[in-house]
Order: sequence, then structure tokens, then C-alpha cells
Amino acid sequence: MKHRAVVSAILVAGLALAGCGSATGSQSSSGDPNGKLVVWDWKSGDASAAAYIDKAKADFASKHPDVTVEFVAQPFDQYYTLLGAAIQAGKGPDVVLFNGGGQIRDRVDALLPLDEYVADDRQRLAGWEAFTSDGRTYAAPVTLQGHPIYYNKALYADAGLDPDSPATTWNEFVDDCAAIIETTGADCLALGNKEGYGIQFFMSGLASGILTPDEYDAWIDGKRDWESANVKRIFQLWKEAGDKGLNNEGANSTAMFNDSFALFQSGKAAHVIGLMSDVGHWKDFGEFLPADELGVMAAPVATAGAVPSLPYDGGIGYGVAKWTTDPAAAAALVRSLTSTEALNAFYAEAGAIASDTTIDVSQAGPAVAAMVPELSSGKPALHVALSSQTLELMGRLSQQLLSGSVTVDEAVRQLADSDQAG
Amino acid sequence: MATPAARRGERLAPYVLVAPAVLTIVVLRLWPLLLGVNFSFTGDGERDGTAVGVDNYLELFRDPLFQGALGNVALLVLLLPVAVAIPGLIATFIYLRVPGHRLYRSVYFFPAVLSPVIVGAIFNLLLAFDGPVNAALAAVGIGRIDWLGDPDVAMFTVVGVHVWATFGMALVVFLAGFATLDAALLDAARVDGASLPQTIWHVIVPSLIRTIQFVFVTTMVGMLTSMFGLLYVMTSGGPEGSTYLPEYYIWIQQGQMNRPALASAASTVLFLIMLVVGMLQISLLRRAGRED
Repeated sequence: MKHRAVVSAILVAGLALAGCGSATGSQSSSGDPNGKLVVWDWKSGDASAAAYIDKAKADFASKHPDVTVEFVAQPFDQYYTLLGAAIQAGKGPDVVLFNGGGQIRDRVDALLPLDEYVADDRQRLAGWEAFTSDGRTYAAPVTLQGHPIYYNKALYADAGLDPDSPATTWNEFVDDCAAIIETTGADCLALGNKEGYGIQFFMSGLASGILTPDEYDAWIDGKRDWESANVKRIFQLWKEAGDKGLNNEGANSTAMFNDSFALFQSGKAAHVIGLMSDVGHWKDFGEFLPADELGVMAAPVATAGAVPSLPYDGGIGYGVAKWTTDPAAAAALVRSLTSTEALNAFYAEAGAIASDTTIDVSQAGPAVAAMVPELSSGKPALHVALSSQTLELMGRLSQQLLSGSVTVDEAVRQLADSDQAG
Repeated sequence: MATPAARRGERLAPYVLVAPAVLTIVVLRLWPLLLGVNFSFTGDGERDGTAVGVDNYLELFRDPLFQGALGNVALLVLLLPVAVAIPGLIATFIYLRVPGHRLYRSVYFFPAVLSPVIVGAIFNLLLAFDGPVNAALAAVGIGRIDWLGDPDVAMFTVVGVHVWATFGMALVVFLAGFATLDAALLDAARVDGASLPQTIWHVIVPSLIRTIQFVFVTTMVGMLTSMFGLLYVMTSGGPEGSTYLPEYYIWIQQGQMNRPALASAASTVLFLIMLVVGMLQISLLRRAGRED
């Protein structure tokens, strides 16, 4: 009887609590008041980023000799889970690395707006939009993340195509693919869609050749017309590429990192929509493909009136947590992490296309030489504008489109619902 | 003759002695549990900290992904007899001393000491679309199978790998059960001319019923709570969300979608499922105990 009374009392206490409090904590102020800043990222442990971190540290130390800095490199696959726990506790790192787009926009409640601190860096750095929410800037860009279409010039030559004149229209592209597949036995597109990321790269890599410039700009501005024929065309072409055998087989069970990129760099696929930050990019591919065999092409035009452009945004950037005890010092550290000297080191060691537009990239080879001039006319990538929820749904639907278990109309309808709800 | 004070002290002593354990349980187990349940009635994002009633639960049960995760729980329960029969049969063969039984005993147990991440990575390589298993199938004229990319196949693949990786422990339990088996019964069956299936069905199964029940329940709990690592490494819940389990759903909502309140609601549902499984376990063991 007594036991029942105790259990009942506990249950009553629990139910009395129900619906109170918050799952994301009170975000009380914490941090170390003794002149120490803690940085969380997933880069500082990489050997290729060592010179970058050293330069940033040295720059910060020269300006704030009384503040020590501790970098804590977290595993990337657990990064946002760990960060979520820190946000719920209202305690954690002072300076935080983020991917641009949904990952930072979903968490701006835990961040300090940096506009007043980074005004002087506005012109020098590019890619701010990916770290902006409701007109306020929450992180300073370190790299630019774009989705260039890389191609293998040697496979083009083997297939009897002109390696220096890749297709400019979608139909030509499909024809070239047929020639490459038939002559070389290689796949046309290396696609890793196990995690559902493949569709994001496809959408952003090819969309400037599918949407008209007005549709493209409206999408980025948040006026997304999912009913428009050209938006549907993106998903139709995704399905068409699968149905026509342009992709490697088993795309839905092929991981993007590093399996699909490995298919491209080992010459088993002629094209890949890759990255231009510090992985899955020209420098990675250059280890296996000689620089003169690695081409970069514009999105083939599928719609009359479309104007291909390089899709890119701020890639990764450092922000400042709301709970830091010394916002000025934390913001100064962010500025050191985006200083020209530090970013130059990141570019030189890791091959990242850094956000600093003053860095000289003329020695980096033909692929970079083809990309960098496109930055001035480039536009933000389409998928970066979508919420995490919609991206996750798009990943699943993209797998269903490849397997044929959903129609394009149904997929677009679900995405529209998710996008409008978000 | 003890004084009243001493008697009172004696009466209180047990409570004082168990107090540390009770406090630990309340503070580290019950309190977080209640907080989790509490959070499940609050909102995410803009509604953070406000009471939203059962909104999270309604959203949860409307979400096809969570429905799929619950469907997969049901599938696991259906596959359970297979997961129990495999170690049971192998233990029987080892007990009946097939040639090389000592070697098999260690070989079968070996995967049980491997981390699910390692097991997942190994099978990712073996079962890749252009991997060795498909190459072997193609060589003998069977078409290649997209083991991890076909939504109708992927869940069975992951469960199969989970069974491969974990049946060693159940095998050990079965072997321990066999140690208590009366050898005279087997001899009697042999003298009576019973075939192997007859011996298994009429002698071994009835004698090992308690062990079988125990393995049944522990395997079920293992399947419901320990497949996260394998799912994470092998399929990431895909393709098409076909391999989601509640545990993986909770992780995605909390870690990737930044929706801790919805994740708390899903955790509460999973907790209730586990409670039912736990009650089933207790009642099964109790029934088995009564047969003694």
C-alpha cells in the first residue's frame, strides 16, 4: 500500500510538471570569466587545417594576449547532436563553427548577432548570406561552398568528344553521356545518394540551367513556386538521369563521401557535381586525375532563357554563442579566424576556396582558374535556402523518385507542404 | 531490554541504509525520465518553453516516418523466432558434437565482441552494389541485389547482420542450458530410434524451454534497443526511410532537426514500448519459474 502511495506521489509530481519548462533550456549565462575562449569545430583536428588554426591563433594572441583559446575538434557526424545538447544546457563553447544555411538558421536563437563586430570585413569576405537570418549576421564565412560540375577530360577524349567543349544544353549532355557510356564503359554521373545528399548537389549544380533567372532569384528570396513547370523539371531531370542510366548503379546505397567521389576520381564516372571548399573538390580529385584532365563545366541549359551560373554560398563560418561572457573577445576571435593570413593558409594547405576575395589563386591550376572568375556572377545554391526538415524529406523523396515509388508531382507536392510549413 | 530510542533506531536503520540507492535512482533515473516526459508536452522552436498539450504526440503519430519506425518494430517482433532459432539450432549441433564443434563455438562467438560500427563497416564493404557479394552472385548467374539501397530488402539486410553479430551471446546461453540437460533422455531417444528432428522437437525443446524463453526476451530487447549503431553505419535510416527505428528517429529529430521536444515525445513512446516488453519479460520468466 505504502509503495503504491510513493509511486503515486512521484507520478503526481511528474504530471504536475507536465508542459512546464523547456526542452532547450533557459540559456543561462555561463562561459569562463577568466580570460578563456572555447571553440568548437570539426576542422581544427585536421592536419590540413593546422596552419590555418595556427595563423588565426597567432593573430588573436597578438591582439588579446590575456585571453587563452582552446579549440575542441568534435567529430562531424556527431557535431550538431553535441551542439544541440550544449544549446539545451545553455552552456558550451563561446565560438562555434557552422555550415551555412539551415544548420545555422535553425539555431540562431542560441547565437549573438555579429553585425557590429564584422562591419570592416563586409567587403573583403564573400558568402555572408548563408549565415544571415532576418537581416542579421550570425557568423563570418571562412570558405565558400559551391557545387561545380567537374568532368574527366580523358574520358571525353576516349569517347571522341571535345574535352574543351562540354555540352551546353541538357540534350547535348544526354547525348554526350550516351557516347561516354557506350565507348568507355564508364558511368556518366557519379551519384552518391545513400544519405539523400545527392539530390541537393543535383538541384543546386544544375538548377541555373533549368530555372529562369527570375525564378532563381525568387526561390532564393523565399518566394518558391513549387507548382512552376521549371521547378518540377528539376525533379523530372533527376528522375530522367536515373531512368536513362546516366548514374552509377546502386546510387541509393552509394555514400557520397567518399564512394561517389571515388568513382569519379578513379575514372569510373565522367562527371560529378562536387564541392569547392576543402573536401570533394579540385584538390582531392587532383591527387588521382592530372590537373589538365580535370575540367569544370557550366550547368547545361534545359530551359530556354536560363542563364547558367556558379551556385555558391558561404561554406563554413564561425559564430558566437549567446552565453559567452566576453562577446567582444569572442567576436575578435571570429575575425582572426577569418583574417586574410589565416584564410590564405587554409587555401594553400587544404585547397579550400576561401571566403576572402583578396587571396591570389592564380597558381592553383585550371579547375580553380575556371571557377574563381564565376564567383562574381554566381548565385546562392538553391538547396541552402531550404530548411533542414525539407532537405531531409527531399533526400527521402529523391530516393523514391529513383526507385519509382513516387511520382514527380507527388514529390513536389510534399516538398511544397514542408517548405510552406517551415 | 532495548530502549524505545534504540528500537526506533533499529526500525529506521534499513531506510537509512537504502537511502543512497533510492536517492541515486530518483535523481539519476526517475527525475530525468520525468523531465523527458515533461519536455514532450512543450514546444520546439518558436514555441520553446510553452505548454502545447499533446501536439507533439499528434504530430508524431501523423508522421509517416515515425509510423514506419513503429512498423519496423513490429517487423522485428515477427523476425524474432528466426533470430532465436539460429543460435538454438547451432547450439544443438555443437552440443551433439558435430566434427570441429570446439572451433565452431569460438568462431560463432567471435562477432559478439566486435563493435556494431566495425560490423557495419565490414558489411557495407561486402554488400556494396559493386562489392564482393554481388560479384559472387553475378558470377553464378544470379542478378545483383541492392542490399542496402532497395527499401524492400534493406531492413532484412540490417536485421540479418544484427543477428550475425549478436547470436554468439545467445549461443552461449543455449550452451549453458544444454549443460543442464539430462543426457539420459537423449540416450533413451537414441535407443528408441528417434531421428534428429524428433530428438530436437520432443527432447531438447521441452528440456530447454526456460532457456528458450530467456533468449527470446533478451534477443527482443537487444533488437529494439541495440540496432542504432548498425543502422547509423549501414543505412542512415534509408533508403526512403525504410530502416527507421524509433531510436534512430529520436536521434534525427534531436540532433539534426533541432526538435528536442518532439524527440522527447518519441522517447516517451519508445519507453512505453520497452515497458510493455519488460512486463512481458517479467511475466514470461515468472511463468517459467512456476513450471519448476
